[in-house]
Amino acid sequence: MKTTAPPATAVASFADVSKAYGRVRAVDGLTLDLHPGETVALLGPNGAGKSSTLDLLLGLRTPDSGRISVFGKSPQAAIAAGHVGAMLQSGGLMEGVRVREIVGLACDLHPKPYPVDEVMDRAGIAQIADRMVDKLSGGQEQRVRFALATAGAADLIVLDEPTTGMDVTARQAFWSTMREQAGQGRAVLFATHYLEEADAIADRVLVLHKGRLLADGTAAEIKAKAGARRIAFDLECEIDEAALRGLPFLASLSLSGTTVRIQSHDADATVHALYGLGCYPRNLEVSGLGLEQAFVAITEAEEARTS
Amino acid sequence: MNTLIKLEITRTLRNKKFMFFSVVYPAGLFLVIAGPQGDSVVSGTGGLTMGAFYMVAMASFGALTAVLMGNSERIAKEREKGWVRQLRLTALPGRGYVLAKIASAAVVSLPSIIVVFLVAVAIKHVHLAAWQWLALTGVIWAGSLCFAALGVAIGYLANGDAVRPITMIIYFGLSILGGLWLPTTSYPQWLQDITTWLPTHAYAGLGQAIELGGAPHGRDVAIIVGYFLVFAAGAAWLYRKDTRKA
Repeated sequence: MKTTAPPATAVASFADVSKAYGRVRAVDGLTLDLHPGETVALLGPNGAGKSSTLDLLLGLRTPDSGRISVFGKSPQAAIAAGHVGAMLQSGGLMEGVRVREIVGLACDLHPKPYPVDEVMDRAGIAQIADRMVDKLSGGQEQRVRFALATAGAADLIVLDEPTTGMDVTARQAFWSTMREQAGQGRAVLFATHYLEEADAIADRVLVLHKGRLLADGTAAEIKAKAGARRIAFDLECEIDEAALRGLPFLASLSLSGTTVRIQSHDADATVHALYGLGCYPRNLEVSGLGLEQAFVAITEAEEARTS
Repeated sequence: MNTLIKLEITRTLRNKKFMFFSVVYPAGLFLVIAGPQGDSVVSGTGGLTMGAFYMVAMASFGALTAVLMGNSERIAKEREKGWVRQLRLTALPGRGYVLAKIASAAVVSLPSIIVVFLVAVAIKHVHLAAWQWLALTGVIWAGSLCFAALGVAIGYLANGDAVRPITMIIYFGLSILGGLWLPTTSYPQWLQDITTWLPTHAYAGLGQAIELGGAPHGRDVAIIVGYFLVFAAGAAWLYRKDTRKA
Protein backbone atom coordinates (compact mmCIF):
# COMPACT_ATOMS: atom_id res chain seq x y z
CA MET A 1 0.00 0.00 0.00
CA LYS A 2 1.56 3.28 -1.00
CA THR A 3 0.45 6.60 0.34
CA THR A 4 0.69 9.30 -2.28
CA ALA A 5 1.00 12.91 -1.33
CA PRO A 6 -1.49 14.69 -3.60
CA PRO A 7 0.50 16.27 -6.44
CA ALA A 8 -0.35 19.78 -7.48
CA THR A 9 -2.05 18.85 -10.75
CA ALA A 10 -5.25 16.85 -10.62
CA VAL A 11 -6.06 14.36 -13.35
CA ALA A 12 -9.74 15.03 -12.85
CA SER A 13 -11.71 17.07 -10.40
CA PHE A 14 -15.32 17.34 -9.35
CA ALA A 15 -16.34 20.58 -7.67
CA ASP A 16 -19.70 20.39 -5.89
CA VAL A 17 -21.26 18.36 -8.70
CA SER A 18 -24.93 17.37 -8.56
CA LYS A 19 -27.14 15.47 -10.97
CA ALA A 20 -30.76 14.49 -10.48
CA TYR A 21 -33.10 12.34 -12.57
CA GLY A 22 -36.54 13.62 -11.77
CA ARG A 23 -36.71 13.50 -8.00
CA VAL A 24 -33.85 11.07 -7.56
CA ARG A 25 -30.56 12.75 -6.67
CA ALA A 26 -28.08 10.45 -8.35
CA VAL A 27 -25.05 12.58 -7.49
CA ASP A 28 -25.33 15.05 -4.64
CA GLY A 29 -22.68 17.71 -4.06
CA LEU A 30 -19.72 15.55 -5.04
CA THR A 31 -16.27 17.11 -4.63
CA LEU A 32 -13.12 15.12 -5.30
CA ASP A 33 -9.78 15.13 -7.09
CA LEU A 34 -8.00 12.25 -8.82
CA HIS A 35 -4.21 12.35 -9.03
CA PRO A 36 -1.68 10.88 -11.46
CA GLY A 37 -0.55 7.33 -10.67
CA GLU A 38 -3.44 6.65 -8.32
CA THR A 39 -5.53 3.51 -8.50
CA VAL A 40 -8.88 4.46 -7.08
CA ALA A 41 -11.80 2.14 -6.33
CA LEU A 42 -15.32 3.48 -6.36
CA LEU A 43 -17.55 1.50 -4.03
CA GLY A 44 -21.19 1.77 -3.24
CA PRO A 45 -24.35 -0.30 -3.06
CA ASN A 46 -26.56 -0.52 -6.16
CA GLY A 47 -28.05 2.87 -6.91
CA ALA A 48 -25.32 4.70 -4.98
CA GLY A 49 -24.50 6.81 -8.03
CA LYS A 50 -21.36 5.00 -9.22
CA SER A 51 -22.41 4.77 -12.85
CA SER A 52 -23.77 8.32 -12.85
CA THR A 53 -20.47 9.57 -11.45
CA LEU A 54 -18.55 7.79 -14.20
CA ASP A 55 -20.98 9.07 -16.87
CA LEU A 56 -20.43 12.62 -15.64
CA LEU A 57 -16.66 12.16 -15.58
CA LEU A 58 -16.77 10.89 -19.17
CA GLY A 59 -19.06 13.64 -20.39
CA LEU A 60 -21.85 11.23 -21.32
CA ARG A 61 -24.11 13.31 -19.12
CA THR A 62 -23.91 16.91 -18.03
CA PRO A 63 -24.22 17.92 -14.38
CA ASP A 64 -27.14 20.04 -13.15
CA SER A 65 -24.71 22.10 -11.11
CA GLY A 66 -21.04 22.13 -10.23
CA ARG A 67 -17.98 21.77 -12.43
CA ILE A 68 -16.05 18.79 -13.73
CA SER A 69 -12.66 19.17 -15.31
CA VAL A 70 -10.47 16.45 -16.75
CA PHE A 71 -6.85 17.46 -17.39
CA GLY A 72 -8.04 21.05 -17.08
CA LYS A 73 -10.53 20.60 -19.91
CA SER A 74 -14.17 19.64 -20.28
CA PRO A 75 -14.69 15.86 -20.23
CA GLN A 76 -15.60 15.88 -23.93
CA ALA A 77 -12.46 17.80 -24.87
CA ALA A 78 -10.30 15.49 -22.75
CA ILE A 79 -11.74 12.44 -24.52
CA ALA A 80 -11.28 14.03 -27.95
CA ALA A 81 -7.63 14.67 -27.02
CA GLY A 82 -7.17 11.00 -26.15
CA HIS A 83 -6.51 11.59 -22.44
CA VAL A 84 -9.13 9.13 -21.27
CA GLY A 85 -9.67 5.45 -21.97
CA ALA A 86 -12.93 4.03 -20.68
CA MET A 87 -14.65 0.71 -20.39
CA LEU A 88 -18.34 0.83 -19.60
CA GLN A 89 -20.70 -1.96 -18.65
CA SER A 90 -23.26 -0.48 -20.98
CA GLY A 91 -20.77 -0.08 -23.81
CA GLY A 92 -21.81 -2.32 -26.69
CA LEU A 93 -19.70 -3.61 -29.53
CA MET A 94 -20.10 -3.19 -33.28
CA GLU A 95 -21.65 -6.31 -34.79
CA GLY A 96 -20.76 -8.03 -38.03
CA VAL A 97 -17.04 -7.30 -37.74
CA ARG A 98 -14.02 -9.27 -36.51
CA VAL A 99 -12.23 -8.67 -33.23
CA ARG A 100 -9.13 -7.39 -35.04
CA GLU A 101 -11.24 -4.95 -37.04
CA ILE A 102 -12.98 -3.38 -34.07
CA VAL A 103 -9.69 -3.06 -32.15
CA GLY A 104 -8.13 -1.59 -35.29
CA LEU A 105 -10.95 0.96 -35.40
CA ALA A 106 -10.32 1.97 -31.77
CA CYS A 107 -6.58 2.36 -32.48
CA ASP A 108 -7.33 4.37 -35.60
CA LEU A 109 -9.64 6.74 -33.73
CA HIS A 110 -7.15 7.34 -30.91
CA PRO A 111 -4.87 10.39 -31.22
CA LYS A 112 -1.96 8.48 -29.61
CA PRO A 113 -2.57 4.86 -30.65
CA TYR A 114 -0.62 1.72 -29.77
CA PRO A 115 -0.05 -0.95 -32.45
CA VAL A 116 -3.14 -3.16 -32.87
CA ASP A 117 -1.27 -6.40 -32.12
CA GLU A 118 0.19 -4.99 -28.92
CA VAL A 119 -3.27 -3.91 -27.74
CA MET A 120 -4.77 -7.34 -28.48
CA ASP A 121 -1.86 -9.11 -26.77
CA ARG A 122 -2.25 -7.06 -23.64
CA ALA A 123 -5.99 -7.70 -23.51
CA GLY A 124 -5.42 -11.42 -24.12
CA ILE A 125 -7.49 -11.55 -27.30
CA ALA A 126 -4.75 -12.27 -29.86
CA GLN A 127 -6.01 -15.87 -30.27
CA ILE A 128 -9.55 -14.71 -31.08
CA ALA A 129 -8.50 -11.88 -33.43
CA ASP A 130 -10.35 -13.40 -36.39
CA ARG A 131 -13.51 -14.31 -34.49
CA MET A 132 -16.70 -12.34 -35.25
CA VAL A 133 -17.61 -9.96 -32.45
CA ASP A 134 -21.18 -11.30 -32.27
CA LYS A 135 -19.91 -14.82 -31.46
CA LEU A 136 -17.94 -14.04 -28.28
CA SER A 137 -18.59 -15.22 -24.73
CA GLY A 138 -19.27 -12.68 -21.99
CA GLY A 139 -15.70 -12.81 -20.68
CA GLN A 140 -14.25 -12.44 -24.18
CA GLU A 141 -16.49 -9.46 -24.89
CA GLN A 142 -15.27 -7.89 -21.69
CA ARG A 143 -11.65 -8.29 -22.81
CA VAL A 144 -12.47 -6.73 -26.18
CA ARG A 145 -13.98 -3.77 -24.31
CA PHE A 146 -10.79 -3.56 -22.30
CA ALA A 147 -8.77 -3.52 -25.54
CA LEU A 148 -10.94 -0.63 -26.81
CA ALA A 149 -10.27 1.27 -23.56
CA THR A 150 -6.50 0.79 -23.85
CA ALA A 151 -6.09 1.30 -27.60
CA GLY A 152 -3.94 4.37 -27.07
CA ALA A 153 -1.80 6.14 -24.48
CA ALA A 154 -4.46 7.52 -22.16
CA ASP A 155 -3.56 9.22 -18.87
CA LEU A 156 -6.74 8.26 -17.09
CA ILE A 157 -8.39 4.87 -17.37
CA VAL A 158 -11.98 4.55 -16.22
CA LEU A 159 -13.45 1.10 -15.71
CA ASP A 160 -17.01 0.25 -14.71
CA GLU A 161 -17.19 -3.20 -13.12
CA PRO A 162 -14.38 -4.37 -15.40
CA THR A 163 -14.02 -7.98 -14.25
CA THR A 164 -17.70 -8.94 -14.37
CA GLY A 165 -17.97 -12.18 -16.32
CA MET A 166 -14.25 -13.00 -16.07
CA ASP A 167 -12.99 -16.14 -14.36
CA VAL A 168 -10.36 -15.99 -11.62
CA THR A 169 -7.35 -16.36 -13.94
CA ALA A 170 -8.62 -13.74 -16.34
CA ARG A 171 -9.30 -11.43 -13.42
CA GLN A 172 -5.77 -11.79 -12.09
CA ALA A 173 -4.27 -11.21 -15.53
CA PHE A 174 -6.52 -8.19 -15.92
CA TRP A 175 -5.38 -6.57 -12.69
CA SER A 176 -1.72 -7.23 -13.31
CA THR A 177 -2.11 -5.34 -16.61
CA MET A 178 -3.90 -2.56 -14.77
CA ARG A 179 -1.10 -2.31 -12.20
CA GLU A 180 1.40 -1.93 -15.03
CA GLN A 181 -0.66 0.93 -16.39
CA ALA A 182 -0.79 2.65 -13.02
CA GLY A 183 2.94 2.03 -12.59
CA GLN A 184 3.51 4.14 -15.71
CA GLY A 185 1.94 7.11 -13.99
CA ARG A 186 -1.63 6.70 -15.24
CA ALA A 187 -4.56 7.19 -12.95
CA VAL A 188 -7.00 4.29 -12.84
CA LEU A 189 -10.52 4.73 -11.51
CA PHE A 190 -12.69 1.64 -11.26
CA ALA A 191 -16.14 0.93 -9.92
CA THR A 192 -16.58 -2.53 -8.51
CA HIS A 193 -18.75 -4.60 -6.27
CA TYR A 194 -15.95 -7.06 -5.53
CA LEU A 195 -14.66 -5.56 -2.31
CA GLU A 196 -11.64 -7.82 -2.18
CA GLU A 197 -10.55 -6.28 -5.49
CA ALA A 198 -10.76 -2.81 -4.04
CA ASP A 199 -8.90 -3.97 -0.94
CA ALA A 200 -6.12 -5.67 -2.89
CA ILE A 201 -5.66 -3.24 -5.76
CA ALA A 202 -6.71 0.30 -4.90
CA ASP A 203 -4.44 2.90 -3.29
CA ARG A 204 -7.52 4.83 -2.49
CA VAL A 205 -11.13 3.87 -1.90
CA LEU A 206 -14.14 6.12 -2.38
CA VAL A 207 -17.40 5.05 -0.75
CA LEU A 208 -20.50 6.49 -2.39
CA HIS A 209 -23.96 6.32 -0.90
CA LYS A 210 -27.06 8.00 -2.33
CA GLY A 211 -24.83 10.15 -4.51
CA ARG A 212 -22.74 11.45 -1.62
CA LEU A 213 -19.13 10.69 -0.77
CA LEU A 214 -19.16 8.93 2.61
CA ALA A 215 -15.53 7.98 2.88
CA ASP A 216 -12.33 8.72 0.97
CA GLY A 217 -9.05 7.14 2.01
CA THR A 218 -6.86 4.07 1.83
CA ALA A 219 -8.55 0.73 2.43
CA ALA A 220 -6.93 0.72 5.90
CA GLU A 221 -8.33 4.15 6.68
CA ILE A 222 -11.79 3.12 5.54
CA LYS A 223 -11.64 0.10 7.81
CA ALA A 224 -10.53 2.31 10.71
CA LYS A 225 -13.28 4.79 9.91
CA ALA A 226 -15.90 2.05 10.13
CA GLY A 227 -14.86 1.94 13.68
CA ALA A 228 -14.21 -1.06 14.48
CA ARG A 229 -12.27 -4.11 15.39
CA ARG A 230 -13.71 -7.46 16.26
CA ILE A 231 -13.15 -9.16 19.60
CA ALA A 232 -14.20 -12.75 20.12
CA PHE A 233 -13.73 -15.00 23.16
CA ASP A 234 -15.32 -17.79 25.16
CA LEU A 235 -16.50 -17.43 28.74
CA GLU A 236 -16.53 -20.48 30.97
CA CYS A 237 -18.13 -18.79 33.96
CA GLU A 238 -21.70 -17.52 34.28
CA ILE A 239 -22.22 -14.84 31.62
CA ASP A 240 -23.36 -11.54 33.06
CA GLU A 241 -24.78 -9.91 29.89
CA ALA A 242 -25.48 -6.59 31.55
CA ALA A 243 -21.86 -6.32 32.67
CA LEU A 244 -20.63 -7.19 29.18
CA ARG A 245 -22.91 -4.55 27.66
CA GLY A 246 -21.38 -2.07 30.09
CA LEU A 247 -17.94 -2.49 28.51
CA PRO A 248 -16.48 0.74 27.08
CA PHE A 249 -16.30 1.60 23.32
CA LEU A 250 -18.76 -1.15 22.41
CA ALA A 251 -20.32 -0.96 18.95
CA SER A 252 -22.19 -4.23 19.06
CA LEU A 253 -22.32 -7.45 21.02
CA SER A 254 -23.62 -10.90 20.24
CA LEU A 255 -23.76 -14.06 22.32
CA SER A 256 -23.99 -17.60 21.06
CA GLY A 257 -23.55 -20.32 23.65
CA THR A 258 -20.43 -19.47 25.59
CA THR A 259 -18.97 -17.45 22.70
CA VAL A 260 -19.07 -13.67 22.87
CA ARG A 261 -18.51 -11.50 19.78
CA ILE A 262 -17.96 -7.80 20.13
CA GLN A 263 -17.28 -4.94 17.75
CA SER A 264 -15.41 -2.15 19.44
CA HIS A 265 -14.27 1.35 18.54
CA ASP A 266 -11.22 0.92 20.78
CA ALA A 267 -10.36 -2.75 21.15
CA ASP A 268 -7.47 -2.12 23.55
CA ALA A 269 -9.66 -0.30 26.05
CA THR A 270 -12.49 -2.82 25.71
CA VAL A 271 -10.19 -5.79 26.35
CA HIS A 272 -8.59 -4.01 29.29
CA ALA A 273 -11.99 -3.47 30.88
CA LEU A 274 -12.98 -7.08 30.08
CA TYR A 275 -10.23 -8.41 32.32
CA GLY A 276 -11.59 -6.17 35.08
CA LEU A 277 -14.94 -8.02 35.02
CA GLY A 278 -13.40 -10.88 36.97
CA CYS A 279 -14.24 -13.56 34.47
CA TYR A 280 -11.32 -14.87 32.51
CA PRO A 281 -11.85 -14.88 28.69
CA ARG A 282 -10.51 -17.89 26.80
CA ASN A 283 -9.40 -18.07 23.13
CA LEU A 284 -9.35 -14.31 22.87
CA GLU A 285 -9.05 -12.99 19.30
CA VAL A 286 -8.84 -9.40 18.22
CA SER A 287 -9.05 -8.71 14.50
CA GLY A 288 -9.72 -5.86 12.16
CA LEU A 289 -12.86 -5.63 10.05
CA GLY A 290 -12.54 -6.62 6.42
CA LEU A 291 -13.22 -3.90 3.91
CA GLU A 292 -16.55 -5.55 3.24
CA GLN A 293 -17.73 -5.28 6.83
CA ALA A 294 -16.33 -1.78 7.04
CA PHE A 295 -18.26 -0.86 3.93
CA VAL A 296 -21.48 -2.32 5.30
CA ALA A 297 -20.91 -0.59 8.65
CA ILE A 298 -20.34 2.80 7.00
CA THR A 299 -23.36 2.62 4.72
CA GLU A 300 -25.59 1.27 7.48
CA ALA A 301 -24.53 4.04 9.83
CA GLU A 302 -25.43 6.55 7.13
CA GLU A 303 -28.82 4.86 6.55
CA ALA A 304 -29.51 5.08 10.27
CA ARG A 305 -28.42 8.71 10.39
CA THR A 306 -30.58 9.84 7.47
CA SER A 307 -33.72 7.83 8.14
CA MET B 1 -13.37 8.19 -39.51
CA ASN B 2 -12.30 6.58 -42.81
CA THR B 3 -11.72 3.32 -40.95
CA LEU B 4 -15.23 3.52 -39.55
CA ILE B 5 -16.71 4.08 -43.03
CA LYS B 6 -14.61 1.21 -44.41
CA LEU B 7 -15.73 -1.05 -41.59
CA GLU B 8 -19.39 -0.07 -42.07
CA ILE B 9 -19.10 -0.98 -45.76
CA THR B 10 -17.29 -4.26 -45.04
CA ARG B 11 -19.94 -5.44 -42.63
CA THR B 12 -22.76 -4.41 -44.99
CA LEU B 13 -21.17 -6.40 -47.81
CA ARG B 14 -20.93 -9.37 -45.41
CA ASN B 15 -24.63 -9.16 -44.64
CA LYS B 16 -25.97 -11.39 -47.40
CA LYS B 17 -29.63 -10.92 -46.58
CA PHE B 18 -29.30 -7.17 -46.74
CA MET B 19 -27.30 -7.29 -49.97
CA PHE B 20 -29.97 -9.53 -51.50
CA PHE B 21 -32.78 -7.16 -50.64
CA SER B 22 -31.03 -4.00 -51.74
CA VAL B 23 -29.19 -5.25 -54.86
CA VAL B 24 -30.82 -8.39 -56.28
CA TYR B 25 -34.43 -7.79 -55.22
CA PRO B 26 -35.07 -4.49 -57.12
CA ALA B 27 -33.55 -5.95 -60.30
CA GLY B 28 -35.63 -9.12 -59.85
CA LEU B 29 -38.76 -7.10 -59.28
CA PHE B 30 -38.00 -5.15 -62.46
CA LEU B 31 -37.91 -8.41 -64.41
CA VAL B 32 -41.13 -9.69 -62.88
CA ILE B 33 -43.10 -6.50 -63.44
CA ALA B 34 -41.62 -5.05 -66.62
CA GLY B 35 -40.43 -8.33 -68.17
CA PRO B 36 -43.72 -9.70 -69.55
CA GLN B 37 -45.04 -6.28 -70.64
CA GLY B 38 -44.56 -5.17 -74.20
CA ASP B 39 -43.03 -1.87 -75.19
CA SER B 40 -46.30 -0.08 -74.67
CA VAL B 41 -46.15 3.49 -73.46
CA VAL B 42 -47.12 4.18 -69.87
CA SER B 43 -49.95 6.69 -69.90
CA GLY B 44 -49.40 10.03 -68.18
CA THR B 45 -45.62 9.79 -68.32
CA GLY B 46 -45.09 11.77 -71.47
CA GLY B 47 -44.19 8.76 -73.58
CA LEU B 48 -42.06 6.45 -71.45
CA THR B 49 -42.12 2.76 -72.32
CA MET B 50 -42.80 0.15 -69.65
CA GLY B 51 -39.14 -0.80 -69.62
CA ALA B 52 -37.89 2.75 -69.23
CA PHE B 53 -40.51 3.63 -66.63
CA TYR B 54 -39.80 0.63 -64.45
CA MET B 55 -36.05 0.92 -64.86
CA VAL B 56 -36.04 4.29 -63.11
CA ALA B 57 -38.71 3.22 -60.64
CA MET B 58 -36.80 0.10 -59.57
CA ALA B 59 -33.39 1.80 -59.51
CA SER B 60 -34.92 4.43 -57.22
CA PHE B 61 -36.59 1.69 -55.17
CA GLY B 62 -33.28 -0.19 -54.81
CA ALA B 63 -31.43 2.91 -53.68
CA LEU B 64 -34.26 3.69 -51.27
CA THR B 65 -34.04 0.17 -49.82
CA ALA B 66 -30.28 0.38 -49.35
CA VAL B 67 -30.23 3.70 -47.54
CA LEU B 68 -33.47 3.59 -45.58
CA MET B 69 -33.56 0.01 -44.32
CA GLY B 70 -29.85 -0.14 -43.55
CA ASN B 71 -29.65 3.04 -41.53
CA SER B 72 -32.79 3.00 -39.46
CA GLU B 73 -32.52 -0.51 -38.05
CA ARG B 74 -28.76 -0.42 -37.50
CA ILE B 75 -28.85 2.88 -35.66
CA ALA B 76 -31.75 1.90 -33.43
CA LYS B 77 -30.08 -1.39 -32.52
CA GLU B 78 -26.66 0.11 -31.93
CA ARG B 79 -28.14 2.79 -29.72
CA GLU B 80 -29.85 0.11 -27.69
CA LYS B 81 -26.76 -2.11 -27.44
CA GLY B 82 -24.52 0.75 -26.35
CA TRP B 83 -22.19 0.84 -29.34
CA VAL B 84 -23.12 4.49 -29.92
CA ARG B 85 -22.18 5.17 -26.29
CA GLN B 86 -18.90 3.34 -26.70
CA LEU B 87 -18.07 5.43 -29.76
CA ARG B 88 -18.70 8.59 -27.77
CA LEU B 89 -15.76 7.57 -25.58
CA THR B 90 -13.45 7.80 -28.58
CA ALA B 91 -12.05 10.87 -30.28
CA LEU B 92 -14.57 10.40 -33.12
CA PRO B 93 -16.55 13.64 -33.43
CA GLY B 94 -20.24 13.22 -32.54
CA ARG B 95 -21.48 13.59 -36.11
CA GLY B 96 -18.90 11.06 -37.32
CA TYR B 97 -21.12 8.08 -36.59
CA VAL B 98 -24.06 9.43 -38.57
CA LEU B 99 -21.88 10.60 -41.45
CA ALA B 100 -20.22 7.17 -41.64
CA LYS B 101 -23.64 5.53 -41.76
CA ILE B 102 -24.80 7.77 -44.60
CA ALA B 103 -21.54 7.40 -46.51
CA SER B 104 -21.56 3.62 -46.30
CA ALA B 105 -25.24 3.47 -47.29
CA ALA B 106 -24.41 5.59 -50.32
CA VAL B 107 -21.71 3.14 -51.36
CA VAL B 108 -24.12 0.21 -51.16
CA SER B 109 -26.90 2.04 -53.01
CA LEU B 110 -24.73 2.52 -56.10
CA PRO B 111 -24.62 -1.19 -57.12
CA SER B 112 -28.37 -1.49 -56.57
CA ILE B 113 -28.90 1.31 -59.13
CA ILE B 114 -26.41 -0.05 -61.64
CA VAL B 115 -27.66 -3.66 -61.49
CA VAL B 116 -31.17 -2.51 -62.42
CA PHE B 117 -29.74 -0.51 -65.35
CA LEU B 118 -27.74 -3.50 -66.59
CA VAL B 119 -30.75 -5.81 -66.42
CA ALA B 120 -32.89 -3.22 -68.20
CA VAL B 121 -30.37 -2.87 -71.02
CA ALA B 122 -29.81 -6.60 -71.40
CA ILE B 123 -33.40 -7.83 -71.17
CA LYS B 124 -35.64 -4.90 -72.08
CA HIS B 125 -33.19 -3.23 -74.48
CA VAL B 126 -33.61 0.21 -73.01
CA HIS B 127 -31.64 2.68 -75.11
CA LEU B 128 -30.42 5.99 -73.78
CA ALA B 129 -27.65 8.42 -74.65
CA ALA B 130 -24.41 8.26 -72.66
CA TRP B 131 -25.15 11.56 -70.89
CA GLN B 132 -28.54 10.20 -69.86
CA TRP B 133 -27.02 7.14 -68.20
CA LEU B 134 -24.57 9.28 -66.29
CA ALA B 135 -27.19 11.81 -65.30
CA LEU B 136 -29.60 9.08 -64.22
CA THR B 137 -27.01 7.41 -62.03
CA GLY B 138 -25.97 10.72 -60.51
CA VAL B 139 -29.49 11.97 -59.87
CA ILE B 140 -30.83 8.73 -58.37
CA TRP B 141 -27.72 8.37 -56.27
CA ALA B 142 -27.82 11.96 -54.98
CA GLY B 143 -31.57 11.79 -54.40
CA SER B 144 -31.11 8.78 -52.15
CA LEU B 145 -29.45 11.11 -49.59
CA CYS B 146 -32.93 12.39 -48.79
CA PHE B 147 -33.95 8.90 -47.66
CA ALA B 148 -30.65 8.26 -45.90
CA ALA B 149 -31.48 11.25 -43.70
CA LEU B 150 -34.97 9.80 -43.14
CA GLY B 151 -33.39 6.48 -42.13
CA VAL B 152 -31.17 8.22 -39.58
CA ALA B 153 -34.15 10.09 -38.17
CA ILE B 154 -36.17 6.87 -37.77
CA GLY B 155 -33.15 5.18 -36.16
CA TYR B 156 -33.03 7.85 -33.48
CA LEU B 157 -36.79 8.04 -33.12
CA ALA B 158 -37.68 4.38 -32.65
CA ASN B 159 -36.27 1.72 -30.38
CA GLY B 160 -35.20 -1.87 -31.06
CA ASP B 161 -38.54 -3.62 -31.44
CA ALA B 162 -40.50 -0.75 -32.95
CA VAL B 163 -37.98 0.22 -35.59
CA ARG B 164 -38.70 -2.59 -38.07
CA PRO B 165 -42.49 -2.16 -38.32
CA ILE B 166 -42.14 1.63 -38.48
CA THR B 167 -39.51 1.40 -41.21
CA MET B 168 -41.60 -1.14 -43.14
CA ILE B 169 -44.74 1.01 -43.07
CA ILE B 170 -42.85 4.08 -44.24
CA TYR B 171 -40.85 2.12 -46.79
CA PHE B 172 -43.77 0.34 -48.45
CA GLY B 173 -46.05 3.34 -48.05
CA LEU B 174 -43.63 5.66 -49.79
CA SER B 175 -42.74 3.10 -52.47
CA ILE B 176 -46.29 2.22 -53.46
CA LEU B 177 -47.93 5.64 -53.04
CA GLY B 178 -44.98 7.39 -54.68
CA GLY B 179 -45.37 5.27 -57.80
CA LEU B 180 -42.20 3.17 -57.60
CA TRP B 181 -44.11 -0.08 -58.02
CA LEU B 182 -46.77 1.01 -60.46
CA PRO B 183 -47.61 4.26 -62.22
CA THR B 184 -49.63 6.62 -60.04
CA THR B 185 -51.78 7.39 -63.10
CA SER B 186 -53.66 4.19 -62.29
CA TYR B 187 -54.71 5.61 -58.90
CA PRO B 188 -57.97 7.51 -58.29
CA GLN B 189 -57.62 11.26 -58.83
CA TRP B 190 -57.81 12.24 -55.13
CA LEU B 191 -54.94 9.85 -54.34
CA GLN B 192 -52.93 11.13 -57.30
CA ASP B 193 -53.26 14.65 -55.90
CA ILE B 194 -51.69 13.48 -52.68
CA THR B 195 -48.96 11.33 -54.21
CA THR B 196 -47.48 14.18 -56.23
CA TRP B 197 -46.34 15.67 -52.91
CA LEU B 198 -44.48 12.56 -51.76
CA PRO B 199 -40.67 12.50 -51.84
CA THR B 200 -40.65 9.15 -53.66
CA HIS B 201 -42.86 10.56 -56.43
CA ALA B 202 -40.50 13.47 -56.90
CA TYR B 203 -37.55 11.06 -56.70
CA ALA B 204 -38.83 8.89 -59.57
CA GLY B 205 -39.79 12.08 -61.42
CA LEU B 206 -36.13 13.19 -61.48
CA GLY B 207 -35.07 10.09 -63.41
CA GLN B 208 -38.10 10.05 -65.71
CA ALA B 209 -37.45 13.62 -66.84
CA ILE B 210 -33.91 12.63 -67.81
CA GLU B 211 -35.16 9.57 -69.70
CA LEU B 212 -37.42 11.87 -71.71
CA GLY B 213 -34.36 13.87 -72.65
CA GLY B 214 -34.80 16.89 -70.40
CA ALA B 215 -33.61 18.21 -67.10
CA PRO B 216 -35.46 17.24 -63.90
CA HIS B 217 -38.48 19.42 -63.19
CA GLY B 218 -37.90 22.27 -60.78
CA ARG B 219 -40.91 21.20 -58.77
CA ASP B 220 -39.52 17.68 -58.20
CA VAL B 221 -36.11 19.05 -57.25
CA ALA B 222 -37.70 21.52 -54.84
CA ILE B 223 -39.83 18.80 -53.22
CA ILE B 224 -36.95 16.42 -52.72
CA VAL B 225 -34.61 19.12 -51.40
CA GLY B 226 -37.37 20.31 -49.08
CA TYR B 227 -37.89 16.81 -47.69
CA PHE B 228 -34.15 16.37 -47.36
CA LEU B 229 -33.93 19.52 -45.24
CA VAL B 230 -36.86 18.43 -43.06
CA PHE B 231 -35.48 14.89 -42.57
CA ALA B 232 -31.92 16.12 -41.91
CA ALA B 233 -33.14 18.71 -39.39
CA GLY B 234 -35.29 16.04 -37.72
CA ALA B 235 -32.38 13.62 -37.60
CA ALA B 236 -30.07 16.28 -36.15
CA TRP B 237 -32.63 17.22 -33.50
CA LEU B 238 -33.29 13.59 -32.51
CA TYR B 239 -29.56 12.90 -32.47
CA ARG B 240 -28.93 15.76 -30.05
CA LYS B 241 -31.84 14.71 -27.87
CA ASP B 242 -30.43 11.19 -27.73
CA THR B 243 -26.95 12.49 -26.89
CA ARG B 244 -28.27 14.44 -23.92
CA LYS B 245 -29.78 11.38 -22.33
CA ALA B 246 -26.83 9.20 -23.35
